[in-house]
Amino acid sequence: MSTMRRIIFASLVLAPLCAFPFLFAEEAPKPATGPRLESFPAKITLETSRARQSIVSRIAQPNGITKDVTTEAQLSVADPKIAVFEGNILKPLADGTTEVRVTHSGQTQAIPLTVHNATVERPISFKLDVMPVFLSTGCNVGSCHGAARGKDGFRLSLFGFDPDGDYFRITRELATRRINLAQPKESLLLLKSIGAVPHTGGKRFAEDGPQYATIMRWLEAGAPKDSPEVAKPTSLEILPTQMVLEGEGAKQQMVAVAHYSDGTERDVTSQALFLTNNENSAAVSPAGLVTAAKRGEAFVMARFATFTVGSQAIVIPKDLKYEFPNVPENNYIDGLVNNKLKKLRIVPSELCSDEVFLRRAYIDIVGQLPTASEHDRFVTDTDAKKRDKLVDELLNRKEFVEMWVMKWAELLEIRSNNDVSYKSALLYYQWLEDRISRNVPFNQIVRELISATGGTFKSPATNYYQITKENLKLSENTAQVFMGVRVQCAQCHNHPFDRWTQDDYYGFAAFFSQIARKAGDDPREVIVFNGGGGEMKHPLGDRVVAPKFLGGETPDTKGKDRREVLADWISSPENPYFAKNLGNIVWSHFFGRGIVEPVDDVRISNPSSNPELIEELGKKFQSYNYDFKRLVRDICTSRSYQLDTHTNPTNEADERNFSHATVRRMRAEVLLDCIGEVTNTKEKFRGLPLGSRAVQIADGTTSNYFLTTFGRATRETVCSCEVSMQPSLSQALHLLNGDTVQSKITNGNLVKQMLDAKQPPEQIVKDLYTRCYSRQPNEKELAKLLTFLPQAHGTTQPSVDETQKALNDLFWAMLNSQEFLFNH
Amino acid sequence: MATNRAKRINMAGMLFAMLIATTVHAASPQLNRVLPRGGQRGTEIDLVLDGVRLADAKEILFYEPGISVTKLDIVNEKQVKAHVKIEPGAELGQHTLRVRSATGISELRTFWVGPFPIVAEKEPNSEFDHPQKIDLNVTVEGVVDNEDVDYFQIEAKQGQRISAEIEALRLGDAMFDPFVAILDSNRFVLASADDTALLKQDAFVSVVAPKDGSYIIQVRETSFGGGGESRYRLHVGTFPRPRGIYPSGGPAGQAVPVQFIGDVLGPIAKTLQLPAAPSEDFLVLVDHNGQTPPSANHFRVSPFPNVMEVEPNNEAKTATPSDLDAPFAFNGIISEKSDIDFFKFKAKKDRALEVNVYARRLHSPLDSVLTIYDAKGNQIAQNDDSGGPDSYLRFNPPADGEYLLSVRDHLNQGGPDYIYRVELTFTKPSVTLAIPNNGGQPTQERQTIPVPRGNRFATLIRATRANMGGDVSIAAKDLPDGMKMDAAPVVNGGDVAPVVFEANADAPLAGKLGDLIGHPLDPNVKDSDGTFHQVVELVYGPNNTSYHKIPIDHLTAAVTEEAPFKIDIVEPKVPLVQNGSMNLKVVATRKEGFKGVISLRMLFNPPGVGSAPSIDIPADKTEALYPLNCADNVPARKWKIAILGSSDVNGPLWVSSQLANLEIVAPMIIGKLNMAAAEQGATTNLVCEIEQKTPIAGRAKAQLLGLPANVTAEEKEIGPEDKKIVFDVVTTPKSPPGQHGGLLCQITMIKDGEPIVQAVGRGGTLRVDAPLPPKPSATTKPAQVVEATTKPAAPPPPKTLTRLEKLRLEQEQAAKEGKTP
Repeated sequence: MSTMRRIIFASLVLAPLCAFPFLFAEEAPKPATGPRLESFPAKITLETSRARQSIVSRIAQPNGITKDVTTEAQLSVADPKIAVFEGNILKPLADGTTEVRVTHSGQTQAIPLTVHNATVERPISFKLDVMPVFLSTGCNVGSCHGAARGKDGFRLSLFGFDPDGDYFRITRELATRRINLAQPKESLLLLKSIGAVPHTGGKRFAEDGPQYATIMRWLEAGAPKDSPEVAKPTSLEILPTQMVLEGEGAKQQMVAVAHYSDGTERDVTSQALFLTNNENSAAVSPAGLVTAAKRGEAFVMARFATFTVGSQAIVIPKDLKYEFPNVPENNYIDGLVNNKLKKLRIVPSELCSDEVFLRRAYIDIVGQLPTASEHDRFVTDTDAKKRDKLVDELLNRKEFVEMWVMKWAELLEIRSNNDVSYKSALLYYQWLEDRISRNVPFNQIVRELISATGGTFKSPATNYYQITKENLKLSENTAQVFMGVRVQCAQCHNHPFDRWTQDDYYGFAAFFSQIARKAGDDPREVIVFNGGGGEMKHPLGDRVVAPKFLGGETPDTKGKDRREVLADWISSPENPYFAKNLGNIVWSHFFGRGIVEPVDDVRISNPSSNPELIEELGKKFQSYNYDFKRLVRDICTSRSYQLDTHTNPTNEADERNFSHATVRRMRAEVLLDCIGEVTNTKEKFRGLPLGSRAVQIADGTTSNYFLTTFGRATRETVCSCEVSMQPSLSQALHLLNGDTVQSKITNGNLVKQMLDAKQPPEQIVKDLYTRCYSRQPNEKELAKLLTFLPQAHGTTQPSVDETQKALNDLFWAMLNSQEFLFNH
Repeated sequence: MATNRAKRINMAGMLFAMLIATTVHAASPQLNRVLPRGGQRGTEIDLVLDGVRLADAKEILFYEPGISVTKLDIVNEKQVKAHVKIEPGAELGQHTLRVRSATGISELRTFWVGPFPIVAEKEPNSEFDHPQKIDLNVTVEGVVDNEDVDYFQIEAKQGQRISAEIEALRLGDAMFDPFVAILDSNRFVLASADDTALLKQDAFVSVVAPKDGSYIIQVRETSFGGGGESRYRLHVGTFPRPRGIYPSGGPAGQAVPVQFIGDVLGPIAKTLQLPAAPSEDFLVLVDHNGQTPPSANHFRVSPFPNVMEVEPNNEAKTATPSDLDAPFAFNGIISEKSDIDFFKFKAKKDRALEVNVYARRLHSPLDSVLTIYDAKGNQIAQNDDSGGPDSYLRFNPPADGEYLLSVRDHLNQGGPDYIYRVELTFTKPSVTLAIPNNGGQPTQERQTIPVPRGNRFATLIRATRANMGGDVSIAAKDLPDGMKMDAAPVVNGGDVAPVVFEANADAPLAGKLGDLIGHPLDPNVKDSDGTFHQVVELVYGPNNTSYHKIPIDHLTAAVTEEAPFKIDIVEPKVPLVQNGSMNLKVVATRKEGFKGVISLRMLFNPPGVGSAPSIDIPADKTEALYPLNCADNVPARKWKIAILGSSDVNGPLWVSSQLANLEIVAPMIIGKLNMAAAEQGATTNLVCEIEQKTPIAGRAKAQLLGLPANVTAEEKEIGPEDKKIVFDVVTTPKSPPGQHGGLLCQITMIKDGEPIVQAVGRGGTLRVDAPLPPKPSATTKPAQVVEATTKPAAPPPPKTLTRLEKLRLEQEQAAKEGKTP
């Protein structure tokens, strides 16, 4: 009977959160200001006789749509003696200054042009000319000669991070094999590349192509080694930086310009490697031609030398009728979110109901469910500002602090191990709790942490240096946790999809090279301090690398604790990552997804879905003096946070732009605490007094079956992926058959207490609904549920026992329902 | 019915007799706990001592004066009750004790004397809202169970000092790291303490009551641990609780003005009358308003004067000078963050100074860094932690003149209680004696001397020398009547020596706290006799690290009841030869009816001598041979050895052999084994070339050892004329092919009826070859191949060929037969 009843109850309450029809009106388009001609690059310098520059033009519509007119635009040089066009490629003729004119549909745009050394041939350079060939033709990728051990006996550095090593391997290793200076044409390097002799990698380029010519020229010159004065590339630009393509098949040509340390610039479109992160929306050809496909958003990237830069490409259907609804904007967040939605022609979902908001805010902010009285108070409140009031109230609760202590404990890997005693872990946790509950500005906390000095008991922040003791790992973790940057790749080679070079990696790691440790009084305690000595060595050449901020300057650390210098920078506004990263971490907690996702993988090839929004969050966080409570307030009071989970046709496919709320399973600790809360039971964890909540667990090694099953972070790495929200069969089985739900219902004995208090069964059903779902059952639900209670059958008065059993079964079914398990 | 009853009585009688029989020969008692953990001075209390084998307990040996046992009741085998009287003048703090029974001495345990009446902790008191109410100036005896928190409520008047000090880890019962806090009635923490410099893991807190009212004292394990053994004594009262004394040392015999620093009511000025004899750790209790703290502060009584720092002295040019010549002591306080104190002193060329900072050793929070500079301020030497967290440098001045030294905190911390003392002294030879650790936990094993009547007991004694070398003799002081000690000196280069204690058969059963004297035998080392100084480990924490150990200065010895067995070494008449071996004979004298297995172990192996960890004399035997072997290149000299014997008589009972002589001599024969090779199934010669350093008297036997399976070589007999031994090595087709190293030639000669065994040519090699697979062209003549290899050994007269000669011969043979090699 009971099992049967449970299944029936379950079928009632487990029904998916049904979508309801979404209504929005299409309004008339706003008046346009007219299309605008745009040409790239904005200025041109041609240096030496071989310099070339391609020009890309497009028409930008007032509604943001861009159309490539590169091939249609008329190109001319004002002073034809100075330069000449071949197609859309400009060639120098004589030194001088003039301008290039681009004309299309009645509009003309002028681009200043300067030509230097028009008749001088720039000497061929291995680094500037030959190395880019290996990159653009894929010779030095990881699956070919860029592999750690090379391929078929020949190794090139991955993506060319070690040009000097490559020069050595081509010219000196296996002398006379790879190049033949007497007969350059017979060089194996060329013969293999054009497929003239068997080559596992096949034909990479043609004999009549520019790559062949470049290498040939270098060989004919005697395969010279670059003098140390040869300019180094300092940055890369890819133009245009943003495009909105309308309709499948729309195209946009890109142009890539590299800037060099000697102040010159070169068109490297033909040497750059073009990539896209979303082939479905926008594919890119090796020559840099973007072709639109399905509706969506893509990030088109170009890689040249050590640089990767990207450009946003939005693809919308042709002739889409779209009007953004007139919705209020609660604060800056809504404006920025909506701007992005407008670009994508997406209409946001409706505002969620009060009851949904109440439950969502409780779970997200304090990790608990509202009590019945809290529910009633909120629902009956008529104040227009009641949602803001609720957020403020929740922010001042101790549980809010505990949620964030837990989140930071995860990122800081607070757990006991052979080097960190339980006492240390507990003191570390208490230190963090103290700081967060006193609302110490977050940059201050991070500063304390990174420059921590002293005993692991007396100055618990020093446990940061005990939980991970390896210097390279410490620097990687620091970059990942506080800047959201993963630099791990650059330990062995330049980062293939980001700007980080080995120099950056070891320069950053050098801040951690002088940490010293000694035994404390208590054998469990370690004293961490600045040893004042120790250098970081670069694996190439074993040279000492001076401390350098990641993406920043090389500070003076002489006679200082390097970690203090680093701590000052990391937590300062000069660090372009810190505030944005923290803003993003907070954001991701409330939306289930970061603006950059994952939050700890900020890189050029993983762009943020809304750069302006993340920028603004960072700015606000800074201007609030890193008071993240205020940031949470901004987020939770924004309309964007309060959207419904139900979608409309324009946003049903959107997962990245916050056009609707997402259904998120409660995280393990919160779920266990909520089950405890609704069933009125207490949990016991090792090393904590009875009744402590799972959120309060100090030591990452403390867990139980429930928490482990539901993906609690073990705090073994700093990765944001530690917390698993993936559903699994064992989770479902544990809830259905495991001892957590059933035994808590029995131990809490709530239904019996209600019955003892002479509450009618109907009222108990309502109470349980409020407890678990923060809402009242609707008529239909109530009517259906009541039919399963013994009262509904026969005329005889059912025993209290029978009623209790039936209600407990209902309770069980509710705790197993998606509506309970998910925050929506 | 009647017969039945008689039977029962009979059986009871038999049982009783058996009980008596098994308890006659008992091992040393075991003492697990003493409850209560302390008492108030000037009172009499009942102690319960729990343990094992306590049925024949005779007395409680207290190491410190002030506590006397007025009555000792044996409850059962596992419990003894003692009524003790704590004198009003008994010293506050730790008292150490052991139980002596008729058959042994127990572990060391502690008992604590406090100034206050005792109150027992009463659960439930685990919630702030339901504390246990106590008076001020009491001592609570309590237990923190797992994840337990204990709350106590007191009433105080505004301005009143409230102090709480806990004895927890110090009690030596368990790894219990306490946390103590004083809260006001609104749950605000007024003061809390986890670890303190003064009391290490133990804690104290002091506040001045901000207003009249109730206050709550909270006690818990620092990380919510605890358990049944996590006992504590919590002193709560209005007593003073200074953190340190400044200066924290002074000249012996003088009256020294000092300040007790760190009390919540401010510094307390006193004048200390110091004892005439120097003391490394002189315990001082401050008296303030008629009260003293429950435990002392630490002070050094030195044979030299003080120099006090004069601030400002944060730079070399403002260094506080000393007009005195060493030895003397600088005293100072690193009073604030980044404070550094400079001192100036005179030193003479090549007159080495010991510069010792005493800070943590005096329980100051300072973790010192000591730097020495020349007069111009150039750094000469620096040290952080050579004296534990304290700093130590041996400074050999390069020239006569002035030097500077500075002291700062390692992390540049500071505070009013960061007190330190830098002692500049000249090096002095010294020696201390102790019993080394006997194996794993618990390390109190065999640290006392229970000697059965008419029997012996032995231990190693370790002599720790400082600033000296040479032999050290060991003598005993204050042994029980009828007991004597026979000790070998600790020889130069080593640090331990065996020591045997022997009790007369009629010695009275009694225990005594004695001492040992270590006397350097080098005539140039004078006035440097050392005494016994043992560190007893009481509490272990994670990874078996020691958390609490206490020093004791007495060797505890007792004459115990007769043991059921005795062992003697049959002193060998022949020496042990380097690279040789010997079977040392040990005989046991068993008492009528004693059938226990006697386990033997060498107490002391002279350097280079190896032996099995232990061997047994089986229950039905009275002797055993203890195999010893000796390495090469060890000094030839005479040693004293002893063997311990133990048997399980309701616990391990230990006795010892006499101190016996063992002589190690240089090898009599040296030699080397030539390499040999044979094809499977063949026989070859293996030659051992020897040189007789001491010609063999008569005949000796030579044996080739270490041969692989299925390879044999007959024993040979040699005489004084032999220069080589030729072994005929016989292999079979089953002999394993390959290189077989590790061969040796063992020569056994007999002298005075005892064998002298030695090995020569260690590391010889025999190669066994598998026959070559028959070549297609040579398949018809496989027999000849075997023939060819066996032939060289065959022709008479037998000439032994070297490996090279054999190879040549094989080559020639093969050539003759037209084989290609």
